[in-house]
Amino acid sequence: MSTIDQCPSTKGPKAKNPKDMPPAARELVRLNGDARLAPIWRSAEEFADAPEFRDFVEREFPAGASELAESSRRDFVKIMGAGLALAGAAMVPGCRRPDHKILAYSREVPEQVIPGKPIYYATSMPMPGGGAQGLLVETHEGRPTKVEGNPLHPINRGKSTIWSQASILAMYDPDRLKNPRFRNPVRGDLPATWDDFTFWANEHFKKFDGTRGAGLVIVADRASGPTRDAIRARLAKRWPEMTWVSWDATSSDAPVAGGELAFGRPVRELFDFERASVIVSFDRDFLHLEPGSEINARTFAASRRALHPGDAMSRLYVAESGMSLTGGQADHRWRLAPSRVSAFAVALAQAVASRLPGGNIAPLKAALDGIDAPAGEDLDLNAIEAIADDLVDNRGRGVVCAGATQPAEIHAICHALNAALGNAGSTVRYMALSEDESSSAAAGLAGVAQQLDAGRVDTLVFVGTNPVYDAPGALGLGEKLKRAAHTIAFGVEPSETHDACEWSLNAAHWLESWGDTRAVDGTIAPIQPMIAPLYEPALSEVEFLAFLAGDAKPNGYDIVRDVWRAALGDNDFEKAWRRALHDGVVAGSTQRGETPGVNFAAVARAVGALKIGPGPRGQSLEAVFLASNMHDGRFANNAWLQELPAPGTMIAWDNAALLSPATAKRLNVTPDPYTTKEPKGRKCRVNVDGRSVEIVAWILPGMADDVVLLPLGYGRTKCGSVGEGVGFNVQSARPASGALAATGASLERIRGEYQVASTQNHWSLEGRTSIFRQVDKPAWDTLGSNETRTPDAIYGGTISDLNFAEKLGELSHTPPNVSIYANPFNESLDAPAPGSRYARGPQWGMTIDQTTCTGCGACTIACQSENNIPVVGKKEVAKGREMTWIRVDRYFVGKDLNNPEAMVHQPVACVHCENAPCETVCPVNATVHGDQGTNDMVYNRCIGTRYCANNCPYKVRRFNFFEYGDRNINGGYLGEDLIPGGGPTNQNLIPPSLRKRLDEIQRMRMNPDVTVRSRGVMEKCTYCIQRVNEARYEMKLQDLDSLPDGFFQSACQQACPSGSIAFGDILDPESEVAKMRGNARSYLLLGYINTRPRTSHMVRVVNPNPRIRTPIDNPFHHGHDGGHGGGHEDGHGSEGDHGHDAHGLPGDDHGHDAPHALFDPRKKAQDEGYALTLRVLGAQTGMMA
Amino acid sequence: MSVLFPKWLNLLPTVVALGGAGAGLVVPVGVWYYATPDFFEVGYMPNQPGSGFNHQIHAGKLGMDCRYCHTHVEESPEANVPNVATCIGCHAETRLSNQVVPDEKVAFIRTAYAGDESVSWRRVHKLPDYVRNFPHHVHLKAGVSCYSCHGQITSMPIVAQNQGLGMGWCLKCHRNPEPNMVPPEKATDLRWVENTWMQTPVKQREYHGTTPEGLVKALREKPPQNCGYCHH
Repeated sequence: MSTIDQCPSTKGPKAKNPKDMPPAARELVRLNGDARLAPIWRSAEEFADAPEFRDFVEREFPAGASELAESSRRDFVKIMGAGLALAGAAMVPGCRRPDHKILAYSREVPEQVIPGKPIYYATSMPMPGGGAQGLLVETHEGRPTKVEGNPLHPINRGKSTIWSQASILAMYDPDRLKNPRFRNPVRGDLPATWDDFTFWANEHFKKFDGTRGAGLVIVADRASGPTRDAIRARLAKRWPEMTWVSWDATSSDAPVAGGELAFGRPVRELFDFERASVIVSFDRDFLHLEPGSEINARTFAASRRALHPGDAMSRLYVAESGMSLTGGQADHRWRLAPSRVSAFAVALAQAVASRLPGGNIAPLKAALDGIDAPAGEDLDLNAIEAIADDLVDNRGRGVVCAGATQPAEIHAICHALNAALGNAGSTVRYMALSEDESSSAAAGLAGVAQQLDAGRVDTLVFVGTNPVYDAPGALGLGEKLKRAAHTIAFGVEPSETHDACEWSLNAAHWLESWGDTRAVDGTIAPIQPMIAPLYEPALSEVEFLAFLAGDAKPNGYDIVRDVWRAALGDNDFEKAWRRALHDGVVAGSTQRGETPGVNFAAVARAVGALKIGPGPRGQSLEAVFLASNMHDGRFANNAWLQELPAPGTMIAWDNAALLSPATAKRLNVTPDPYTTKEPKGRKCRVNVDGRSVEIVAWILPGMADDVVLLPLGYGRTKCGSVGEGVGFNVQSARPASGALAATGASLERIRGEYQVASTQNHWSLEGRTSIFRQVDKPAWDTLGSNETRTPDAIYGGTISDLNFAEKLGELSHTPPNVSIYANPFNESLDAPAPGSRYARGPQWGMTIDQTTCTGCGACTIACQSENNIPVVGKKEVAKGREMTWIRVDRYFVGKDLNNPEAMVHQPVACVHCENAPCETVCPVNATVHGDQGTNDMVYNRCIGTRYCANNCPYKVRRFNFFEYGDRNINGGYLGEDLIPGGGPTNQNLIPPSLRKRLDEIQRMRMNPDVTVRSRGVMEKCTYCIQRVNEARYEMKLQDLDSLPDGFFQSACQQACPSGSIAFGDILDPESEVAKMRGNARSYLLLGYINTRPRTSHMVRVVNPNPRIRTPIDNPFHHGHDGGHGGGHEDGHGSEGDHGHDAHGLPGDDHGHDAPHALFDPRKKAQDEGYALTLRVLGAQTGMMA
Repeated sequence: MSVLFPKWLNLLPTVVALGGAGAGLVVPVGVWYYATPDFFEVGYMPNQPGSGFNHQIHAGKLGMDCRYCHTHVEESPEANVPNVATCIGCHAETRLSNQVVPDEKVAFIRTAYAGDESVSWRRVHKLPDYVRNFPHHVHLKAGVSCYSCHGQITSMPIVAQNQGLGMGWCLKCHRNPEPNMVPPEKATDLRWVENTWMQTPVKQREYHGTTPEGLVKALREKPPQNCGYCHH
């Protein structure tokens, strides 16, 4: 080792290539050296570790990532010709300085507007499926640009979710309905005006006064708000026999029915997981996208922070059919078909009941024992006993809950268990449901279908709903619509229902409307408009309903105020009104929820009749329908949400029939490995009760076997240019009952393949397995430390020994770091010398806690909105050209491809290395270091060599291959007629100069503080430097000495529902980020390559039940002495500092002779990357022999 | 042969060589000198609507403070252009006799006001899109006079661009701010800044105990020179 030879080609006779090693050996290599530790992998391909995957990873970027397009040269020439033809016209404006106009306000000057400074207004957003979020909306001179959570609203507490973040894009959607349209039976579709409609409607609706409303049907979106409820009451008063359906396509009746069984009335649970120690979920994804999940994500995270060894931490058991984000968080998880989840729930209830002596649960116990639940091998009885003990030991601190796929009886059992265990009133409270929220959506719509069949419907009004698309296919509503004499659709976006109706009316977006909302905890919040309707005239939802109720000229402002005045009283009404508008909540409207008594006898009766099936058998599958990021499809035209990879599968711009790998193999529909250039899935036909849907099949590790998961909300045919034709409409296979689970489904492969864009393997990194670190709680309790380190101690190296988290990774096996590059701000390797720039605050840093991160993607969308990040479309995503600055990596943990222990998430954005590899390779100094520790990107200098992206070890740099930021993705292009044959299907073949630019309306959503990047420019996370700068201005204007912690937040930090992201000045010892960074759970991604990232991640801690899985209490596992040869010492160099005992390498004691330590120095010749690192660093520090 | 090629052609190679050398010198020097904002941008003076806003009369002759119209310059990054209502504050028909201001000169203002329409002023000073808009408030607070970037506005009948606003120009001041530091309370007194303050050598400037050196020392941070402060 005396010579340093870095050239891979002169390595001599070393050296099996890792690629050539047998798969088993590779797998063990990735076991982190310890056979007891579960491996972590991103996909089936990585799990199998086929040679193709090694190739894929070594290439770093997917094949085709930097090729122009796949079309023929002839196409290209054709388009270039058209481009030249247009160029003449485009060049005319020529070389004069563009004329910019300054348009100040005139006579009417809005109060408080200061040009150049944003104003935040409080409002609230009705969430799909009920509930609401309280939000603050940033407006620049009257145009809303960004949505944040309202800190005063109890649902949000300043946080937000993907749907509220993305709603801003929907408002500026150019495909929105702009004016009414009337379908004349003879002359076809005619553009109309609101005057036309009101003229017609005033005459038309009069006739229902005679019939008392018979013949009139209103299908409204499921939502709740005092004003809406009041107008509904007025409608019911005017037309008592009118039919009103509160429609929600993603709900099932079971939760409501379960509440009625247990309490005699419909309820919704309000959880307080913060107080919970034991949580059991039966197929319920309570952390993601259900009403109230904002609270759940926050309190659940609070129960699991485990910042210090010995901290209490809740334990989550999940039995589920899919692989949900909640399932990913579970400490123990069982994958079972929905009917088997019921069996699991019953078995657990039996076990709990048998532990609770006598009392009011006795009748239920008898009934439970009477249930004929086929035991089956899939029920882990030992585990069920352990859970029951855990629940009984933690009475009053547990939660048992069931999801919408479960029958009402299971919900009732959960309510009964919570009552019997004393959880009700402590961790679970109940909110009464309004009539709208508790009525059965499916039954309501089925009733409408019946009325249509009977010819009793004269006028059918759809208010913000789209049943033609999202009603269960069995109803056949689209056809039956023709039997109504008149149909009216009112909504913001075009839809299948609008297309089918006689009248299509354009609505105002909620950001343009007056209204109010009632959140799941009863909090009432105003909706106030941020901007006048972009496409005037348009009515808001309450205005339209008020119009139907008889108001000639409805005005949302007056309607809301009248309702509120009735509720709040005349005294001081103005004051209360202004206060509510300012705060965004009505003071005192939040409720804690109540604890009604459970009627055990009624539950027992119902449970006695419960039939539990044996689960899927033979060729029969169970189908599960699941709301996706598109919810019921209403967000389908939102490009941000389409491009956000779905949790679990990481599929963007599509849905797929999801199967476990084993089931897919059995049914012969395993998709192409993702390592092929354009991976395709196999088309298949899923049959449910005689209805079928053709869809692509895809695998999702962790799903229950013999279950097919069908995500709702895709396959829209009329919704605008973004969402049309994306994915497959699975509603057509849904049973008429609206149930979300169905038995007796089947799946058969049909001819055809279909390309799926999944980001699951994008940005993979070769051999860098300790990127995600996870320990069991006992290990953290015993080996962790309360010690808080200085911001620089985390870099390890020569400064001090390693913390708990770093001992888990490569740093424990590499020699101390030395710097190859001189850092202009900190010449020393240690803590920055006093007086050097890095020794003075603020120095920005970020910490991401992987214990609490659920992987919901709110950070990604918030970043997209704040930083004007474009979407690229499916074809580009498939090539790995997605532009989102934050990617949320998804890893599976476990040794079984079919049954991973957990699904974990790791948000990765630019980590702002102090020794940034990207900076040293940029030929034009376009990426340079700032003196506050940020790695800055200077867009106007960038010439697009992409050297930086190649040299970035974290793969966080995004390249704008085409003019993504300023051009429409699916919006057609200019000069279409110039191209013979209509042009190519691939939009990206069209030179950007020919593609349609974003129109004026679309450009209004851009954040004016952030540059809109153009083609050929590299970009990446900036730590929201525009916010940093705004805060610095404020600091100077207000004569502050420094920026107080929390003075501003990065967009991702502000959005994160679980509070997993901390951002701030790492030199301020009181700041949250400094505390997190100093925590012993904090580690640096790839810390051993001495990039010194400013973003640190925190080791995930899981809390297994020792009776179900033996926790690994020492992940450093010293192994046996025999394993340590001279080579080991060779590799370590001097290792006095960092405690050999704590993190030695495992020995060869596991009964195989494969090299099973990733960084076993004896095997370093087999791991080129590591060997190279060692030689370079070792030789430089003179430690190698 | 001599018929085809006259004798003077023998000089051609020399002429070409000399000409080439000359062009090789002239072109880079020309580009270096002329292809800059200092040459292309300075002096940009677009026609304004109506007869324009005469800064020479308002700010010079009448001595109005800049902040009378640019009201938010101390609290916002933007130095706002006044609302039409601000103009009407003085130019309402009943306010000024048309002996002082002929009606036809301000008719466009009154028309705009009556219709609640904006006047489309044409923008003179414009930074490129990839630069954060110049934060006026912090510069004013630190003690940079309007004069340093906009020139002697009080003598401009129609506003013209006075400085190149290139990055080198920005950095020149950020590297050595003292020559442009003015007591903040006098920052908008452009005549005084030009005639008194700027005429004094930098080291000798002093106004009631305020010196350029003292102003620089009082800054919360040195004028930043990193890319990320302006480019994001």
